[in-house]
Amino acid sequence: MTPIKTILAEKNLDGSGEFWRSELSKITKEAVEKALAAPQGTYSLGRLMTLVSPAAEDYLEQMAQMARRLTLQRFGRTIRLYAPLYLSNYCANDCLYCGFNRTSVFERKRLTIEQALAEADIIAAEGFRDILLVSSEDRDFINVDYLAALAAKLRQKFSFIAAEIYQLSPDEYAQLFNAGIEGVTLYQETYSRPAYQYYHPAGPKSDYDNRLTAPDSIAAAGMREVGLGVLLGLSDWRLETLALAEHAHYLIKHYWRSHISFSFPRLRPAHDVDSSQFKHLLSDKNLVQMLTALRLCFADAGLVLSTRERAELRNHLVGLGITKISAGSKTSPGGYSHEHPEPIVVQGEQFEVNDTRPPAEVATMLKSQGLEPVWKDWDSAFAETGAL
Amino acid sequence: MENLKVNGIEKEFSAGRFPATLDELLKILAVDAATVVAELDGQIIERKDFAGTKLQKGQNIELVRFVPGG
Amino acid sequence: MDELIIAGRKFKSRLLVGTGKFASPQVMAKALEASAAEIVTVALRRVDIENKNDDTLAAIDRTKYLLLPNTSGARDAQEAVRLAKLARAATGINWVKLEITPDPNYLLPDPIETLKAAEILIKDGFVVLPYINADPILARKLEDAGTATVMPLGSPIGSNQGLKTRAALEIIIEQANVPVVVDAGLGLPSHAAEAMEIGADAVLVNTAVATADDPCQMAIAFKLAVEAGRLAYNAGAGAVSKKASASSPLTGFLRDK
Repeated sequence: MTPIKTILAEKNLDGSGEFWRSELSKITKEAVEKALAAPQGTYSLGRLMTLVSPAAEDYLEQMAQMARRLTLQRFGRTIRLYAPLYLSNYCANDCLYCGFNRTSVFERKRLTIEQALAEADIIAAEGFRDILLVSSEDRDFINVDYLAALAAKLRQKFSFIAAEIYQLSPDEYAQLFNAGIEGVTLYQETYSRPAYQYYHPAGPKSDYDNRLTAPDSIAAAGMREVGLGVLLGLSDWRLETLALAEHAHYLIKHYWRSHISFSFPRLRPAHDVDSSQFKHLLSDKNLVQMLTALRLCFADAGLVLSTRERAELRNHLVGLGITKISAGSKTSPGGYSHEHPEPIVVQGEQFEVNDTRPPAEVATMLKSQGLEPVWKDWDSAFAETGAL
Repeated sequence: MENLKVNGIEKEFSAGRFPATLDELLKILAVDAATVVAELDGQIIERKDFAGTKLQKGQNIELVRFVPGG
Repeated sequence: MDELIIAGRKFKSRLLVGTGKFASPQVMAKALEASAAEIVTVALRRVDIENKNDDTLAAIDRTKYLLLPNTSGARDAQEAVRLAKLARAATGINWVKLEITPDPNYLLPDPIETLKAAEILIKDGFVVLPYINADPILARKLEDAGTATVMPLGSPIGSNQGLKTRAALEIIIEQANVPVVVDAGLGLPSHAAEAMEIGADAVLVNTAVATADDPCQMAIAFKLAVEAGRLAYNAGAGAVSKKASASSPLTGFLRDK
């Protein structure tokens, strides 16, 4: 089994990208039309390249229509709802784009298990049964034992628990799985090695190769959902999409029991962040192209959208292939209980422009679009012996 | 009379004509040893051991060969 | 045509041929030659001790072909394992086509016994090529167990119906990390070409060649069909056009981004 790092290297997808930029610029509209005429839903690097090319921008409406139809066939008129529970913003890493990096000065917060459960109660009261435990790299406190203990308690009220946390070892992921966490999201942030090195100068996260193998460990531990993504804006989104797709394709081939999802965290221009340092910010149009291109190559993948994006945009995106969204998210530890004022910096993004609608209002919006909000997809009680 | 079961069929040998070895049995049956696999009481016997494998009455022998098939 | 690699061994031909149902050993030998196959399957049966028997396989030059014994006749894992071991004792080759068919009416393979037998034989050092229904999950499980290929059927043995299981075959081909050999039910060269066009690595044909009026000519036809299909697959065929029918525009909102 060729490891993913070799695959990316051999296909020139982990470098600065001159080769691919040149190839992408050569794509003609005839090539795009041919790619769109082929049966959709299965992946090939060649076809994805055509769909993310500049030439395909003129075909966005057609791609959107096809992506919508394919998603409807596979997922029906439903969309899953989840809520993030932020556990800590203490961090050992030094990522340049993130406001939580260890050199940033602000009042840090981490939750005890009891505090986390209090947050979870509020989340459950809104109707959620699907929760995502989020933490920065706070290994001393938010460690595997903490997460396992928290998950064991959360199983009583949530039917699906996932985690978006710093990288763990294969045994640690197995421990989480046994405790009831069934999904893990871990973004490579960027597949470009030069960019990765630049943005992650220090801390455990600075090791590109190590990070790249985390999804292998996640899937091997039996996690049902494996979430991938890049921080859109760190590097050329077209190349990132190709690398992301190769990663997904590799995981699908070798870990056939796991379901792959893509997320789209996007760096947004913000008033006190020097946006000139980010040369690769995406427009909404680029985001739609990326999203629909991925859907047309991965018929069964989850496409996840958070509340980082503004409300009106989310209203349009939910009909284009998104399968799971968060709503009413509070992105600081203790945010749901309002115990602490919101430090509004997460991942370097300001939260001036985002979807602050309460979950009920988001649900109404979904219904108005003919989509049924699904709060609970599976009851883990079925998996327990003696439950019936 | 001493018997051997060969391919599910009881074979009787009169006194003095009982095959001493597997090799001898094949000669008696006019089966070409070169293309045959033998099982004696459930154990596979390599072809090179046919001459050296002694037989006793009541044993169960399977003789199998490659035939056309899909 | 690019080489076929099974268990690390290279083959020029992507057509495997079965040796059964031919009118005579001589016809069989000529047809095999015409097919240019490098792997031919054989079965194991009890020697008929009541009659003076001719060795029907004497006509095959065993130095030219890899004889792949199948376990046809086995109705469960235990019988299949026994046959595999007998076959290995006969030739010293540890390749086996695992075929467990408890139903004599359609000769469909038993998935559960096949998986069981595969696991046992792989532990015992066999190179296992399992014959299965076109079940993508079963194919994945066999691959996980370590089989050298998967061999899903196109339609029941001898039925000559072609790729009735096409949709499932496409999934297996998409998901497999080992060669996929479509085996059984290929009645015409066009069926074999179709299997190769959708990405199968090889096909196995027996009845269609053996029962043709002119088996030699039919063997040649299959050989050419397999080559044509593989060349087409590698050439990247243009797709049938499917236009999306736009209703109300979904991306109008981007104009005011």
